[in-house]
Amino acid sequence: MYEFLKYEVRDAMTANPIAISPQTPLKEVEELFESHDFNGVPVVDEQRHLLGILTKFDLLKAFSLGIRAMVPHYDEIMEQPAEAIMTRDPVSVEPLLPLSRLLQKLVEMRTKSLPVVDNGLLVGIVAREDVLKALRRSTIKHEIPVHEDSPS
Amino acid sequence: MTTLLYTHPACLEHDTGFGHPECPGRLTAVLNVLRTGPFAALEWRDVPQATLEQLTRIHPQAYVERTLARIPKQGNVAVDGDTILSPQSGEAALRGVGAVCAAVDAIMKREASNAFCAIRPPGHHAEPTQAMGFCLFANAAIGAAHARAVHGVERVAIIDFDVHHGNGTQAALEHDPAYLYISTHQAYIYPGTGRRNDRGVGNMINVPLLAGSGSSDLRHVWQHEIEPALRDFQPGLILISAGFDAHHMDPLAELNFSEDDYAWLTQQILAVAAECCEGRVVSILEGGYSIPALAASVAVHVKALMEAPRAAQRSLIKGILQRQKARRNAAGS
Repeated sequence: MYEFLKYEVRDAMTANPIAISPQTPLKEVEELFESHDFNGVPVVDEQRHLLGILTKFDLLKAFSLGIRAMVPHYDEIMEQPAEAIMTRDPVSVEPLLPLSRLLQKLVEMRTKSLPVVDNGLLVGIVAREDVLKALRRSTIKHEIPVHEDSPS
Repeated sequence: MTTLLYTHPACLEHDTGFGHPECPGRLTAVLNVLRTGPFAALEWRDVPQATLEQLTRIHPQAYVERTLARIPKQGNVAVDGDTILSPQSGEAALRGVGAVCAAVDAIMKREASNAFCAIRPPGHHAEPTQAMGFCLFANAAIGAAHARAVHGVERVAIIDFDVHHGNGTQAALEHDPAYLYISTHQAYIYPGTGRRNDRGVGNMINVPLLAGSGSSDLRHVWQHEIEPALRDFQPGLILISAGFDAHHMDPLAELNFSEDDYAWLTQQILAVAAECCEGRVVSILEGGYSIPALAASVAVHVKALMEAPRAAQRSLIKGILQRQKARRNAAGS
């Protein structure tokens, strides 16, 4: 575990992740979720400034009962652009944040992943799985077995 | 006196297209249950088509003509994403309005205690100049206007317990204090109208309920808001916009009413009707999209309508006995 304390977000994140534009139709976002194992995808402008994040939860929410129609209409909803339902100004982390801090943040926010931003630009995404993997990796070689007696 | 049942085969032929929740199967299930033994005493009546005079008490003639002109010769035509027309939709809608007006006539002439109109398309979302939300003509509002115009009823109340707010009924009647419209509905779903502070000329009582509300919430608002307003108004006729989509099994909303709630609510309305207007009630089918829940809920609703005269008699006798007792006590003291 001591090794884990040395890790930073940049050591565990997926660098240069797939991102979408604000105009991407929800139909394409759903296909992206279907073909990759993403829970959410960052939304960026042409310079890769982070504008928002769109998750499976947001997609579900788009189908909840509302005032516009008696029955939500699949095609109509799926033709909407990402910016219609994305979460704007999402919480993000910096690449140099200690991974232990990120772990705390994920637990507190009950979120599955967070975008990693450096000077406003999207540089990565870091998910629960990445932290679990880092925890495992950090303990493989370096952990001191607790049952060994301390040298006298 | 019995309960009248108004329906017409055309209402089964209004075809809203594959998979649409407001489907003919709803009415088939309702009629099937009303054909069973416990409902043998119902008097089934065929219905005439609505007349232009009846329709134009609420809708401009141009709207009626425009709506009927949109009926396709074949296939389906969409008025909006929800509201779909088929070749038989015009006939079904005109029979629906005809059913409501015929039921009002029969009840005002004391041919029966009360009546249920098993019709579709529903009506409470249809505004004077806009078809929407599965509805073409404002069945309940037209029935209320008919009662005033033809039978000289001074005050007509409409109780709407469909899970969606009846924006059409409200739009038609909100400027005329001869009508009282009371609606319970789920807040923040379609059509988005019916806020609590939306009171017309003091004659619209909107009681939005939050998602998840059920039996105890219904009883609370009935006791504290609906019943006092209804009694104060002293209606000469009560119409019910009877939608059963506030049922806990309905797929289009999130209220949690049960069949017991519908039976109870119907009895409460009938008790007020017995006091104010000799039990005169005409109930009109609106929504309800879980077919088993709809059939079961209509069954208890109609059962309560059929038992109304006996219940009214019981409450009348109880009242006489109580007054006698009070007199005796006063004389004795």
